[in-house]
Amino acid sequence: MKLTNYDIILRPVITEKSMNQMADRQYTFLVHPNANKSMIKKAVEEIFGVNVEDVKTLNYEGKVKRVGVHVGRRADYKKAIVKLTANSKSIEFFEGFNA
Amino acid sequence: MNTKVEKLEKNTVKLEITVPAENFQEALKKSYNKNVGKYNIPGFRKGKAPMAVIEKYYGVGVFYEDAVQFVCDETYPKAIEENDITPVDYPEIDIVQIGKDTDFIYTAKVTVKPEVKLSEYKGVEAKKAEYPVTEEDVASQLNLMRDKNARIVTKESGKVENNDIAVIDFEGFIDGVPFEGGKGENYELTIGSGTFIPGFEEQLIGASKGDTVDVNVTFPEEYHEETLKGKPALFKVTIKEIKFKELPELDDEFAKDVSEFDTLEELKQDIRKKQEETNANRAKREYEDEVVKKVVDASEVEIPDVMVEKEIDYMMNDLNYRLKYQGLDINQYAQLMGTTAQDMRKEFKGTAEYRVKNNLVLEAIAKAEGIKAEDEEIEKRAEEIAKYYGSKDLEKMKEAILKTEKSIIEEEIVNNKVIDFLVEHSKTIE
Repeated sequence: MKLTNYDIILRPVITEKSMNQMADRQYTFLVHPNANKSMIKKAVEEIFGVNVEDVKTLNYEGKVKRVGVHVGRRADYKKAIVKLTANSKSIEFFEGFNA
Repeated sequence: MNTKVEKLEKNTVKLEITVPAENFQEALKKSYNKNVGKYNIPGFRKGKAPMAVIEKYYGVGVFYEDAVQFVCDETYPKAIEENDITPVDYPEIDIVQIGKDTDFIYTAKVTVKPEVKLSEYKGVEAKKAEYPVTEEDVASQLNLMRDKNARIVTKESGKVENNDIAVIDFEGFIDGVPFEGGKGENYELTIGSGTFIPGFEEQLIGASKGDTVDVNVTFPEEYHEETLKGKPALFKVTIKEIKFKELPELDDEFAKDVSEFDTLEELKQDIRKKQEETNANRAKREYEDEVVKKVVDASEVEIPDVMVEKEIDYMMNDLNYRLKYQGLDINQYAQLMGTTAQDMRKEFKGTAEYRVKNNLVLEAIAKAEGIKAEDEEIEKRAEEIAKYYGSKDLEKMKEAILKTEKSIIEEEIVNNKVIDFLVEHSKTIE
């Protein structure tokens, strides 16, 4: 099934680090592990109405956890750091967070 | 800042204070700075989370409480000063409008010092009591002095008389059986002092030294020892010694001994003079009190309850403080007196009301007459107090007193002046 924009961008990552990166117009999201950079770029541009200059992605493997004899695995996830172009407007959702 | 003043009944004033949005935001920021350390948010170290994140996490209201306090602390005293209000209580603050980007509006309801309706306070009529010194006063003073200088002399022979001191051994029996506490040795009993149960001392009169006397008495019904109440008892009493008080003769010799005067006549005159002085002071004070009381009673003040409550608090504290010296506290005291702290408060109420009214009236008169305490007077009084404390470093002590108690001293001086003023303008009636 084809991924829609809202399937791709799962949620923002709000941490001290990501907050500091906002100063450089870099916004961090959790994204669908199957999404590639161009899909992410398109999704962010369409959802927030901004211009994306660059996308960096980071793949994380879920940790192996065991409860007694049962071995399980947490889900893998993908993070994307999206850099906006210099003349793009900022993403409103984050507005005020880096105050 | 914008203030609207509205007068409510019974000495309460309602202030509506509007604080501009930017001031409130500043306060919010201050509140944020104060509280960031408390909030733990995943992804942030403690104290590092931005304001907006905390607000998203915990709700917009988290910083309001402190911010409101900051704003009120700053604006409320200003509002009071601008509108010339003298509150006697903490304000009751209600928030009308609060928001991140809106003006902050709150109302403060506060009890103010009531206005005093003074009656005509000049030319108050009061009776001046006279306390003349009589011969008896002087005589009783002299007797007291004689008593103090009396010598205790052992009677070699003779019998026990009234006012003698008998040194006795005694043992008491009820139905022929000795009872607890009924025994004593070498007890110095003053005959006629009423130390022992009634009838005991009288029966010793007429006995001589070395005699053994049987004393038959009945314990009184309201005796403190439960088992002895109303019981007849027999005391075997041995008189070991008889002493009596030898009072010095009232003559010039005595005068020389007890005072710096050479003759009895001079001593008498001195006593008379001193007594007259005390009496005159007493009369003066009573006169003052009466004048003040008349003025106060004639004035009309609507006393707010908080002021009375505060005065009662003060009185209770004062009492507590004094009781501490006796190793008691207020609850124990109340128990001893058979009341409770609550009942005592109620009893204090009348006095407290009068005191508050008294102060308010005196204050109002001082204001009306422009009576003030001069700086020198305050300093002088402070010096007196410093001396009273007997501190080594008078100057330092004085400064400390001036720093902490200046307003109290000032009030005291003003009050005294007002009283003097009232007395001066009063009419004495016979």
